[in-house]
Amino acid sequence: MDVGTALIAQSHRVDLSPTTAIVWALWLLVGFAGIFPGIVAYMVWLERKVAARFQDRIGPNRVGPFGLLQPIADAIKLIVKESIVPRPADGLVHLLAPVIVLASAFLTLAVVPFAVGLVPIDPPSGLVYLIAVSSLSPLGIFLAGWSSRNKYSLIGAMRAVAQLVSYEIPQVLATIPVVLWAGSLSLVSIFDHQAKFGWNAFTPPGLLAFAIFLIAGVAEVNRTPFDIPEAESEIIAGYHTEYSGMRFGLFFLAEYLGVFAISCVATVLFLGGGMPLPFSSFPVNLIDGSVGSYILADAILLAVFLAKVLLFIFAMFWVRATLPRMRIDRLMNFAWKYLVPLCVLNILFAAAWFEVVVRPGRIEAGRWAVGMIGVGLLTAAGVQLVFWANRKLAAAAPIDADWPAVGAARGG
Amino acid sequence: MARSLFLAIAALGLLAALGTVLARNLVRAALHLVAFFFCVACLFVMLEAEFLAAVQVLIYIGAVAILLMFGIMLTRNAATAEADLSGGWRVPGVIAGLCVFAALAFGINNAVSPSGSGAWSAIVARPALEPAEGVAWKAERSRAIDDMPRVVGEQFMTRYALAFELAGLLLTAALVGAVALAREEPAPGDSEPATAVEAEAAVGTTP
Amino acid sequence: MANDIPLNWFLYFSAAAFAIGLTGVLLRRNAIAVLMAIEIMLNAANVNLVAFWRYGTPAAGAGPMPGVILALLVVTVAAAEVAVGIGLVLLCYRRWRAVDVDRYDTLSG
Repeated sequence: MDVGTALIAQSHRVDLSPTTAIVWALWLLVGFAGIFPGIVAYMVWLERKVAARFQDRIGPNRVGPFGLLQPIADAIKLIVKESIVPRPADGLVHLLAPVIVLASAFLTLAVVPFAVGLVPIDPPSGLVYLIAVSSLSPLGIFLAGWSSRNKYSLIGAMRAVAQLVSYEIPQVLATIPVVLWAGSLSLVSIFDHQAKFGWNAFTPPGLLAFAIFLIAGVAEVNRTPFDIPEAESEIIAGYHTEYSGMRFGLFFLAEYLGVFAISCVATVLFLGGGMPLPFSSFPVNLIDGSVGSYILADAILLAVFLAKVLLFIFAMFWVRATLPRMRIDRLMNFAWKYLVPLCVLNILFAAAWFEVVVRPGRIEAGRWAVGMIGVGLLTAAGVQLVFWANRKLAAAAPIDADWPAVGAARGG
Repeated sequence: MARSLFLAIAALGLLAALGTVLARNLVRAALHLVAFFFCVACLFVMLEAEFLAAVQVLIYIGAVAILLMFGIMLTRNAATAEADLSGGWRVPGVIAGLCVFAALAFGINNAVSPSGSGAWSAIVARPALEPAEGVAWKAERSRAIDDMPRVVGEQFMTRYALAFELAGLLLTAALVGAVALAREEPAPGDSEPATAVEAEAAVGTTP
Repeated sequence: MANDIPLNWFLYFSAAAFAIGLTGVLLRRNAIAVLMAIEIMLNAANVNLVAFWRYGTPAAGAGPMPGVILALLVVTVAAAEVAVGIGLVLLCYRRWRAVDVDRYDTLSG
């Protein structure tokens, strides 16, 4: 069935009728001011619990049962703490910076289709919007570092901007296969496409794009192993060294909101949104127009969606608890020498997949098998090629080439 | 409603533009520039070109502003970072700006649209697209507004294919040119960086 | 629409922004500030293009969105211009240790 007709998202053509105004007010008050920050607060609790388990500790357990009231205590602490602004700091910019970062994270969530009809807004250029608003955060981070008048802050900010700009490119390129297959930039259409053709992650180019998107996404939200902008053992806390009180709280909120947003986007783009089964439009085909069917389908979709997002979040915590931090030059090399070439090759494979499987308009077992084997081998060969070329390049260079200071210090 | 919204956005945008031009501190100026870009993006939304607004935010705020700030950081010089308004040219510059504005305003008030359909100042509302039957351009434009990314893509691949290719060529040339310009040239006969610090700096700028 | 914004308002906005940008080019000595002022002028032109696209009736065979396409091309050119411009500024800064455009006067002998 064509799910697109069943979706009753907010139209991108803004009419200011009372109904629309009420729906928007509800989204803002309940979603953006209530549920999302609440989710973030409990993500922090979850991270502390998970990290504690990985380190053979118990984690927060004093405030409330299982430490469940800990986030509230944390929030109260952050709010009542004195906010210290360094005397030479640029006051207005110092205040503006965390607000920009937080706004960027919030705005990202505005186009995510959580379930059928549960989309804040569905513009036809949704993915461009998503990329545009997520590219606001480097600006905020840069301003934070610059306005603090602290060299560690400035170094952290420069690192952050270099890293964010570099990893934005593979992240954007990784979404191109999805756009190509769905033939649209609207996230709702991408969801519909996956209801017809199975989840995007279950195709060879889609899997590669998914992996690249996740890696770049972890880098975009500055989490370990890509957290050199705030590497506490090198540059204290990077760009938020000089922040305290609720201003630091805003950065904190923005970081976890970013994790949540990137998980939501990855779920929608590659894991079929809230659909529980890869090759069936199961809860969506329950919808027969009645209100009860909508509620049932949306409940299933929302639950599965949140479960998938939770999985991503857990994976990020897992990575954080397991992997050490990368060195800045290796980090840049990884983005430019591995991820970007892989993405460019992957677009070609995605085009091949489009011709073999998507072109007929519906999924056919024979063509699907041919595509899986053919394009799968092609994709594997592409990955091999990029890694082989990089190994050759690395072998040709002298042993200290990637860190000349080491060679110089050794007297080389 | 739409009018007051426009006036607010336009006033903010012009203030931000003035701030860019007058701010002593360069980073402050760049921040004002970002605000101006954002106001222009808002105007694009008001003109029903939201794809263009997204592109505006993505390219101008996400790339150009960041690039400018990097440029400011890399050329920081205690003497010139602040207070760089030309002394002798202040009055002639302002007069030139006012003259240009006056000339443009005169043109806007008196110009007649080329198709002979009357003066620009007579156009007080955008053409309605509702009765699109029989009028080809109305249907075309309403599709362009509803599905702008797709129509932009189609147009770039058909009607404006040459312009598209040229833009790609220009971007490639700019990329190569910027890398070639900004690269630290080794002095003749000096194949290795002199000190470890310099080498480290070179590594830092290669990506 | 009854209460629509007149075309002139967009034109005045863009004329004012263009004039401000021009003043900036004339007033500022810092090369990067001059680049910023040029960006203001380009943006002002873009507002004009899109406003004329939306408010005008197109000539026959003009395509659905000439103004928007032209605006996109302007954005492309502006991005390229900033990249090369910043490269040039860095190069000049390295040679003269200054970002002041009045100091780049080698050609005046």
